[in-house]
Amino acid sequence: MRYFLISSLFLLLISCSSSITKGLLEQTPNKEIVVNNYFSNSDKDYVYKAKISVYNTNFSGLLIIKKINQNHHRIVFTTEFGNNIFDFEYIENSFKLNSAVEKLNKKHIINTLSDDFYLLVNQNNKVFKQFSERNQMVYQTKFNDYDNYFFVSKTSNNLNKIVMASKEKEKMTIFYNNIDNKTAKDIAMIHQNIKMSIYLTYLSN
Amino acid sequence: MHMNLKACLIGFLLVLNSITAISQQIALSEEESKDLRIKVVEKSNNTTSIISDFIQYKHLDFLSNDIESRGNMVFKAPDLIKWEYNIPFKYSVVFKDGKLNINDEGVKSKLDLSSNKAFKSLNNLIIKSVKGDMFDDNQFEIEYFKDNTHYYVRFKPKEKRLKSFINEFMLSFDKETLDVVEVKMIENSEDYTLLKFINQEFNRPISNEVFLN
Repeated sequence: MRYFLISSLFLLLISCSSSITKGLLEQTPNKEIVVNNYFSNSDKDYVYKAKISVYNTNFSGLLIIKKINQNHHRIVFTTEFGNNIFDFEYIENSFKLNSAVEKLNKKHIINTLSDDFYLLVNQNNKVFKQFSERNQMVYQTKFNDYDNYFFVSKTSNNLNKIVMASKEKEKMTIFYNNIDNKTAKDIAMIHQNIKMSIYLTYLSN
Repeated sequence: MHMNLKACLIGFLLVLNSITAISQQIALSEEESKDLRIKVVEKSNNTTSIISDFIQYKHLDFLSNDIESRGNMVFKAPDLIKWEYNIPFKYSVVFKDGKLNINDEGVKSKLDLSSNKAFKSLNNLIIKSVKGDMFDDNQFEIEYFKDNTHYYVRFKPKEKRLKSFINEFMLSFDKETLDVVEVKMIENSEDYTLLKFINQEFNRPISNEVFLN
């Protein structure tokens, strides 16, 4: 029994102390900005097949992302039939909701989607801290109340992952996979503490 | 004086331009509208099935290109319909017993529409639009137009809920055959989805098994 209690306590301590940058070597930042170029070409329409699951309700359709101009992105999620599920804009870092279907049009859901998609598309992110591990660099940035960690491969220089965290606890992770010609062809956005996930597969347009 | 003349000239050209634009589609007279309506309803009542290929264009004003999808559609009277997309990915959906049966690249799911009134009424309208018979004056403000090759009927929803995501339906009919060749769903923001039907075949026997999805 005592052994069980001690080991439980030990496990609890481990989980409390686990942090995203634990074991990584902190360095003086060698750049001011970490760049996410996956949605940065304003000549291009980024069209993805999308599966979005929000608290056990599933939506499927097309996610369309367009950089309108510097610091202005539009994000529209439509059904295969062309009816809009939601329509967002980010203009100079401020969020604008153009429309959303009733089921998603709730403050906490919209706020979460707003933070998630901002992180997905925002191009220039100011670096506060920098860490190094064997194969990748980790850049810590801030947005709203979150610390965001950008994982960039040392060999390919590709951004592979962003972790959104609050008080060092992971809230959501974006995985950019299958990167080809500056386009992330598979993207997963997975929440750790709520039932929300987004899977995107690139369709050329 | 010189400026005034210039302004007048520009104004005149603008008016001329809009007259030309309008003249491409002429409003039908009350009698013509009535006649078209009777003929379309009659054709619709005699339609037992439609098989057609389609091209869908999703037009969003801010995009460089429309998003194009292709597939085929099977309709069996009174209310079975299957949309099968092949491009850009395989996806099919059957409207049946108030549910959407979806087959997304082999992954099957059902969406109950009873909880989503707006979506349900939209789907019912899509079924009606394929046949052309959407003439419900209680539900829509209806306007009729024509050009050399087509009739056009514009349906503007009156119901608030439907209005919130569809501004109008525009159906295009072939002038000779009265087949529905295009369905355009215009959203509030002037963005639209356009369905073009090609290679239509009517009243061929269709097994119900087609609608197992």
